[in-house]
Amino acid sequence: MIRISEAAVRSTVQDRGRFGHLRSGVPPAGAADPFALAAANALVGNTDDAAGIEIIGTTFRFSCDDARLVAVTGRDVSLTTRSRLPGWSSVFVRAGQPVTVHAGERTRFAYLAVSGGIATAPVLGSRATYLPADIGAPLRAGDALPLGDADAGAEDAARRAGATVYDGHVRAMAGPHSDRFDTDATRRFFSATFVVEAASDRQGTRLGGVPIAPRAGELLSCGVVAGAVQVPRGGAPIVLLSDHQTTGGYPVIATVIAADLGKVAQSLPGEPLRFYRVERDEALEALRAERRALDGARASA
Amino acid sequence: MKPRVVPFGESALLVELGDEFQENIVGWARAIADRWETTAGFGPAVPAYASALLRFDPLKTAPAEAEKVADAMLARGQFMPTLGNEPRRLVEIPTTYDGPDLAETAERSHLSVEELIALHAEREYTAYFLGFLPGTAYCGRLDPRIVAPRLERPRERVPAGSVAIADGQTIVYPLASPGGWRLIGRTALSMFDPGADDPVRIRAGDRVRFVPL
Repeated sequence: MIRISEAAVRSTVQDRGRFGHLRSGVPPAGAADPFALAAANALVGNTDDAAGIEIIGTTFRFSCDDARLVAVTGRDVSLTTRSRLPGWSSVFVRAGQPVTVHAGERTRFAYLAVSGGIATAPVLGSRATYLPADIGAPLRAGDALPLGDADAGAEDAARRAGATVYDGHVRAMAGPHSDRFDTDATRRFFSATFVVEAASDRQGTRLGGVPIAPRAGELLSCGVVAGAVQVPRGGAPIVLLSDHQTTGGYPVIATVIAADLGKVAQSLPGEPLRFYRVERDEALEALRAERRALDGARASA
Repeated sequence: MKPRVVPFGESALLVELGDEFQENIVGWARAIADRWETTAGFGPAVPAYASALLRFDPLKTAPAEAEKVADAMLARGQFMPTLGNEPRRLVEIPTTYDGPDLAETAERSHLSVEELIALHAEREYTAYFLGFLPGTAYCGRLDPRIVAPRLERPRERVPAGSVAIADGQTIVYPLASPGGWRLIGRTALSMFDPGADDPVRIRAGDRVRFVPL
């Protein structure tokens, strides 16, 4: 069991997402910063589909009933056991030892992975929490969650993973609705500096600063993915994140590459965001680089 | 518009079948989604009015390979049958017609409230696809005498179970959520149960009827 004594502002169990019921309108949910959760899992020797805890705000404090490896990732994060330790590294904690996850000034989402993974009962094939439909619930002080069996031990501690550089430079592929925008709008989109708006959440990051008008005309709703940059009629783009609705009726000017989704999710209100146009080959190469980084960080469980 | 396959990021393709809403195209989109999931097996698909989103893992399936399969499906044309020939289910939705937009919607359609209710309840609808929120089935078509554009100012909170109409279609809001459709009634029937094996009340392709209480 992992026992939570402080649950920050909002913390939820998340995994890589629930992709088996998109056709029923069930959003994928899962970690808003997918690479950060994947890195935390790798550091403690978990598989990619293990569940961890997504933490918003401060302070999150816990202990485990038996010895475990833990890792915290995300933007500007660290943890304390007996001493303060950096994020993006694995730490061995003994049974009952209290651990505090620290969020910094720039943290939007912190991810905690524990060796063995959070072993709550899957719902519709995933442990991802989706609060609007009461799939899972916000964690509270006093909660105890089951953990899976863990093979990784003390010898696997102090592994490190390269932290994402959360610099607001985001790569995106054009489309799929490129022909709904004139060339000037597309050029502006890929050269402007947008500002993240306060109304951003796990459903999407809202951008202000530079209106990008789509051409007139109706668009029939179609299936969408996380990373899709929708442009509603008002011209303020929304980058869809993991809690996004499964279909959308706004034209999508560009799609953020999977490897850079975390940079969008972790950006704070008021911060700048810029989009750089890439082709599919570069998006794939970025995914392969992530895979290599995860393999390199993986504890030898 | 000529049907085509376009990339949607590196991990999905969007099959676009047209830019107008037609019932035969909805069936085509669903057939492509079914085949993508069962025959190709590269990942899940999301059909909608005139498109199918096809997902795949680009580290396992090369995008060019996924595209080749999607193109081949498209080439089979619009008369590709949907998989499985089981008779379409009929789902009945017991409805109390007392929604806050009922009177205004009747008035703008030059109908009495009773006439509007009768027109809404007498038709058997088809569930085209699910989207928006878990279990939201887009059903149509409404009788053309019911003139109902979306509200100019969407509500911040629509109660779960609200029966609503807009743009020639009707839905039941499965969860409390913001919403811009016109609320004409409500049902006590749950539209989404995450604990069930099949979590949704209405599936795409079902026949749907609203039964006045």
